[in-house]
Amino acid sequence: MSALLEINAARREFVTPEGGRLAALDGVDLTVGANEFVTLLGPSGCGKTTLLRAISGFEMLDSGTMRLGGADLTVLPPFRRPVNTVFQSYALFGHMTVARNVGYALEVAGASRTVREGQVAEALEKVGLSGLGARRPGQLSGGQRQRVALARAIIAKPRLLLLDEPLSALDRNLRQQMQLELKTLQHSLGIAFIFVTHDQEEALTMSDRIVVMRAGRVEQIGTPRDIYRHPRNRFVAEFIGETNLFAVTVDRIEGSLALARTGEGVEMHLPATGRSVGERVTAILRPTDFTLGNGGIPGRVTRVVYLGSDLYIFVQPQTGGPEIRVIARDGAGTEEGAAVHLAHDPTRVHVLEAM
Amino acid sequence: MRNPAGWAALTAFSLVFFAFIYAPLFVIIGYSFNSNPVNMMIWEHFTFDWYTGLLGLSNRATDVSNRAAYVESTDQMLAALRTSLTVAVITTTISTVIGTATAIALARYRFRLRGIYNGFLMLPMMMPDIVLGIGLLIFFVSIGMKLSMLTIIIGHCTFLTSYVFIIVQARIAGLDPALEEASADLGASEWVTLRKVLLPQLAPGILGGALLAFVISMDDLVITYFVSGTGDTTLPVFIFGMIRRGVKPEINAIATLIILASVVIAAFGLWLRSRKAD
Repeated sequence: MSALLEINAARREFVTPEGGRLAALDGVDLTVGANEFVTLLGPSGCGKTTLLRAISGFEMLDSGTMRLGGADLTVLPPFRRPVNTVFQSYALFGHMTVARNVGYALEVAGASRTVREGQVAEALEKVGLSGLGARRPGQLSGGQRQRVALARAIIAKPRLLLLDEPLSALDRNLRQQMQLELKTLQHSLGIAFIFVTHDQEEALTMSDRIVVMRAGRVEQIGTPRDIYRHPRNRFVAEFIGETNLFAVTVDRIEGSLALARTGEGVEMHLPATGRSVGERVTAILRPTDFTLGNGGIPGRVTRVVYLGSDLYIFVQPQTGGPEIRVIARDGAGTEEGAAVHLAHDPTRVHVLEAM
Repeated sequence: MRNPAGWAALTAFSLVFFAFIYAPLFVIIGYSFNSNPVNMMIWEHFTFDWYTGLLGLSNRATDVSNRAAYVESTDQMLAALRTSLTVAVITTTISTVIGTATAIALARYRFRLRGIYNGFLMLPMMMPDIVLGIGLLIFFVSIGMKLSMLTIIIGHCTFLTSYVFIIVQARIAGLDPALEEASADLGASEWVTLRKVLLPQLAPGILGGALLAFVISMDDLVITYFVSGTGDTTLPVFIFGMIRRGVKPEINAIATLIILASVVIAAFGLWLRSRKAD
């Protein structure tokens, strides 16, 4: 993977209204490959939008460097950077037609009318809006405006497209459809996308790699599968998907399995690799990692949420401790008050050494 | 639930309210067609004489025995109208350019004393006209500047710039800053962004401000009264002087024409505002 964008030790501080200093970017390192779909994910205020704005040039770094395809970007103003942005508010020019909006980058660059018309038609076709060039943005639906913003951003053939929560204003069905379309478009354009979102589901669906951020720092960078199955810490584990966390002490080791126990007495098996008796660790199990059977953790169903083909159930362990969240097939013995046993595959347990 | 008595009272109140505002205007319009030259409160019969007289098309005058004096005053009035229009066009242009540029600068750039600039720009609007008028007069006299059309123009610009500034500023405040960012992101320099995105987006506000400045400049009496010299006088100042020498029927005709012009300009302004600028 050749690196397209390289960010080193990026720092950016803001002065808070109270007069303090807040590091929106606190030493961020990030490398993005030429055809990669990278998502910046994190709660609001984590610095993901500042990082995106630093790449587009709307925020200058206090320190650190930024290179795109080997060229130094760090001090270039936005209009000299070969990256384009799809804004959260779309930021379409209401006084121009759709076609002129889409062709704006070419118009500014001084391209001739015939060149512009050809490329605008091509860009509109790519986003499925052929024939709407003469309309005004005000006459379009939210989804169509989104596509105009997209067409406008890709017409200058940037090597890197930045997307700032572009789907947040769309309803759920349209959002899911656009997620797939964006992914397809990224493949067909063969360029890198950096996508900002606070929606972890969106991040898991679309990304080649996810960058989880908190308080101006990168918590973890990895593939969606990596991040979901092997979160590096509690924050990542809890931010991505539903999680059951167990603070356990390793009781004994039997071959490839370690038997561990929570303070309340809930017992579970972990992979033995790297474990030692008496060690205190955090065991992570996703709601889908449990199966309802005869063996395993005994408990009682306290609440059932119907999801369709699956059920989301809350199980109170018999020995006490926090409720365990489980996704189970609709059917056998999952009504409220039912006594159940929760079995799990020990290899599915992810262990955090830090508590 | 509708209370019939209350509803009737409210209706009556509204009618009286509008009558108070518009009755004087209709009285003036009505009497501008009254042919009685001596006592214009007594209706004689319908005539266009005062209008044609104003435009120098007929010789009928208030004081038939003193035709020469009347014709002279008609010329003076047309000269005053010309001065008014010249002043209004020039001040509107200057204050629109300065007001718009200031509004953009204060909204988009951070610099020292920004808040104080803002306050100073509001001040001329809130200051009583008479204070501003006296202040300007003393200022012009103290620097030895002869009162002329130039002093009227400078005087008008001092407060009209504030009006344009406030209207354009309101428009900028409602503008998505991402529009300018999008323009920069697509390769446009600040200058190109100003020309292709910011000014077109602000156009309704700028036009509205210019229209307001034009109307206020045409209408201003108090400040102009202080800063106009003997040579150049504007229409409001001329009418004011005319009334002091006694009310002539021509004044009704002048007033009616001004009302007509105001309605046309106001309608144009409303039409501009109603055009959706998204």
